[in-house]
Amino acid sequence: MALTPPPATPVGGTAPVDDGAPLLACGRDAARVWDRAAAGEDPDAHERACPHCTAAAADALGLGALAHRMADEPLEPPPSVLDRVMVAVRSELRPHDVITLPSPHGQARLSRAAAAAVLRHTVDRMGGLRARSCRIEQVDDTLAAVEEAPDSQRHAVDVRITVTARFGVDLASVTARVRQMVATAGEQALGVPVRRVDIEVADLFDADLFDTDLFDTDPFDTGVPGNTR
Amino acid sequence: MTGPTVRVHVGDAVVARVAARRARRVPGVVTLRADLAQALLGLADSVLGHDRAGAIPADGVQAAVHGGRAEVSVTLVTRLGYNCRDVAQAVQRTVGEEVRTYTGLDVVVRVTVAEVLLD
Repeated sequence: MALTPPPATPVGGTAPVDDGAPLLACGRDAARVWDRAAAGEDPDAHERACPHCTAAAADALGLGALAHRMADEPLEPPPSVLDRVMVAVRSELRPHDVITLPSPHGQARLSRAAAAAVLRHTVDRMGGLRARSCRIEQVDDTLAAVEEAPDSQRHAVDVRITVTARFGVDLASVTARVRQMVATAGEQALGVPVRRVDIEVADLFDADLFDTDLFDTDPFDTGVPGNTR
Repeated sequence: MTGPTVRVHVGDAVVARVAARRARRVPGVVTLRADLAQALLGLADSVLGHDRAGAIPADGVQAAVHGGRAEVSVTLVTRLGYNCRDVAQAVQRTVGEEVRTYTGLDVVVRVTVAEVLLD
């Protein structure tokens, strides 16, 4: 037999000296034939003629092709996976992330972020104003206040909201309306009394930079003095 | 002639499914919100092709039965236009009644409104 074992490895196909390595029927080390084929080396004279070596090489090439094809396929999770996980992560609310709702039936809580989103939304819907940040602190959070709070003020919240105003709106009247809208939204949408509203006007914006249609069609916009100027 | 003594224990999953089924039908409840463990289990099921045909989903509800007493915790999403306080109280009341009637257990229902859809 014309065996040409590579010089680096003594195993070749000469004798089954290796520790239990499976040999092909022709006496060659199956793993070596496999490795050489997978590495793309040309078969030697024996391998070309030997049916066992040919079969082993074909197996290697077949599996290699399949594995490469699968590895090349872009990994694409269904688009909903990230959403579903992130939604669940955001819903893991710690005690500080919620405010308490009044209830005679046991503990009822509302996500602080959801409550802030409702109040910001309320302000955004008023013409001439954009809400930026909105912080909600519950009176109950400050322990001393709990005892002396009258029933109507149980679970009341203090709201600090930062807004930007459209240039030209009358700040005094618009902030008065914010105060009123936030108090109403707190009672009607959230279900907690609003004890205090702090409004910080942080910046001005120019109406032209925004979609003016948005303001024109806003039912709240008509009452803003700045609009008529 | 007296029959054998029978003791029935109602499992956590039973309470959770009854509560979830009822809570979903309360006006103002858009959906129940699965916690992280439930979301991951749901994903695993869909990837592995598990089909729990017929199982009433209990996502968004945690329940624990201690003796004759059940603690139920419901996490839900509502929509602007409903009052969060009223929705929460309605869920507590109706889910409590349903679980009490169905299982005979004493029930306390905790509700968390996790999100308010603004559209």
